[in-house]
Amino acid sequence: MILRDSRGEYRVTIEQDGRVSIDGTIVAATVLAPGELRVGDTGHAWVCASGDARWVFLDGEVFEIEVQPEGRRRRAVSSHASLSAPMPATVVRVEVSAGTVVRHGDTLVVLEAMKMELPIRASVDGTVTAVHCKPGDLVQPGVALIDIA
Amino acid sequence: MMFRRLLIANRGEIAIRIARACREEGIESVAVYSEADRGAPHVRAADRAVFIGPAPATESYLSTSAIIDAARATACDAVHPGYGFLSENPAFARQCEQVGLTFVGPPADIIERMGSKIAARQLMISAGVPVVPGLTAVDQSDEGIAAAAGRVGFPVLVKASAGGGGKGMRVVRDHESARTLIPAARREAIASFGDGTLYVERLIERPRHVEVQVFGDTHGRIVHLFERECSIQRRHQKVIEESPSPALTPVVRDAMGAAALAAARAASYVNAGTIEFLLEGTGDAAHFYFLEMNTRLQVEHPVTEAVAGVDLVRAQFAVAAGGGLPWTQESLTRRGHAIECRVYAEDPADGFLPQAGPLLLYREPAGPGIRVDSGVVEGGSVSVHYDPLLAKLTAWGESRDAAIARAASALRAFPVLGILTNVPFLIRLLDHPEIRAGRMHTRFIEEHASELLTVPDPPLEALAAAALGGTAPHTGDGNSAPAAPDPWNTIRDWGRDR
Repeated sequence: MILRDSRGEYRVTIEQDGRVSIDGTIVAATVLAPGELRVGDTGHAWVCASGDARWVFLDGEVFEIEVQPEGRRRRAVSSHASLSAPMPATVVRVEVSAGTVVRHGDTLVVLEAMKMELPIRASVDGTVTAVHCKPGDLVQPGVALIDIA
Repeated sequence: MMFRRLLIANRGEIAIRIARACREEGIESVAVYSEADRGAPHVRAADRAVFIGPAPATESYLSTSAIIDAARATACDAVHPGYGFLSENPAFARQCEQVGLTFVGPPADIIERMGSKIAARQLMISAGVPVVPGLTAVDQSDEGIAAAAGRVGFPVLVKASAGGGGKGMRVVRDHESARTLIPAARREAIASFGDGTLYVERLIERPRHVEVQVFGDTHGRIVHLFERECSIQRRHQKVIEESPSPALTPVVRDAMGAAALAAARAASYVNAGTIEFLLEGTGDAAHFYFLEMNTRLQVEHPVTEAVAGVDLVRAQFAVAAGGGLPWTQESLTRRGHAIECRVYAEDPADGFLPQAGPLLLYREPAGPGIRVDSGVVEGGSVSVHYDPLLAKLTAWGESRDAAIARAASALRAFPVLGILTNVPFLIRLLDHPEIRAGRMHTRFIEEHASELLTVPDPPLEALAAAALGGTAPHTGDGNSAPAAPDPWNTIRDWGRDR
């Protein structure tokens, strides 16, 4: 299988004896209990799956690692972006309109959820092509608020 | 007479904490729950549970009528409000008393007076307790607040009069930014407290936040249970609390204890409360100023319970039932050091944005000196409707170093997966040399953000774990069955010390 994180890709095979080969380097691993493993010499890890993602807790750090089964192609990366709410929220303010030139990190929309204001910031440089919300709207996660191209 | 049946007007970890105290005291407990909390751990922790309404807190946990109806329907004789929600709502406390329910907390008029930051300030000034220089504008328009800020002198802190927890609060450094920050503070104040009244204080740069636990009874006795240092905050909310404060010299500690008692006496305070101070400067020359009084049990009460060896919730019951305080000032002593870490569902790298979602894997640590107060379980989920606090980990040790080492080691064995939490961030805080040295202030996280937010690349061991990760007991896609553990692996671990 292929594992992917923010740095790159790793070719990983699970050996017959349960050891794991990562780009040719062998790491010992023993399942202690469901979701709990001994890894390497002294590492104690907890892991769980969520779709193609694996969540790993190791020595107080959390890693999200994507698993790609052999033979499946990666989705194309696009320079377009749609910004959506991370959770159900109310729109407090919309700071841009169609045609606004934005830079990565600019605040586009301010939401309120859990009694806190949450700024939604541009994830890319570009121009706003569409605004799909207005102040007072209740918005759901995953639904585009702003499109940037 | 002690209560027979008590309604817990709260949810999550604090509701469970109160239910446990009820059981120890022989009081029947009644939980309440919203649509989002069907089957939540706090519902199971109590002897009975009453459904009180839809998920939004305003229609359930903040609904005085729904809660009072639930208490009457189950023939309760007392209500414990916990913290947050209705705990500092004087109208709720008053209604409880009117229908014959004992409110486990101070009388309504004390909550009312101390809840108004403006009235509380006036009272403290008259009691000789030092306060931060500030102004409440008679002209409550945005321009009026901006003008008051100019008179106090920039930088200032604009705060909600009805506020708490940093909601409705903004640091304003000049007239220019005042134009956007004052309306933002007001919007948050209205959304959180239903009251947009603002006031302005001189900003003390890099203060410490040190608070004193006080406790009064209906027989006129008041004691303090020492201080808690709560300087490690993000978004003006506490993240780590400890006792004793590494900043207080014996001279300043005595002066602060005396000021807290004077403040509590001025308020004729009854039941558990906290006097919050800002501490400026170091050594015997440090100055402290009254910040506010919290007329409720605090989130961080386990810190005091650990060092003073007391049970604050059971003492609340005793006092609310008309009994005397279980301690005298002379009988109260401290032993060792305690530190509490608040585990939040949030993404520290994204401005501590609250996270909601499934707890695919959640395992609590245990061990000598470790206490975990939590309101969630593995396989449950974190709702968008409420505070993202998952658990409080409190570690006690003979010394500050021992308590911190225990806390850090316990957090390294506190895996929470499926949703981002601040566990790795808490460990980086506890490992930070400045915090180990006891040198912190309320802007510590902000000023050290880059070092605290540096996330390492996954080591090969993490990749190996990910490769074998399909065997988790709870999977997010809901259609892959959990793998049975290999019996050979289980046998191999017989007798293993872990």
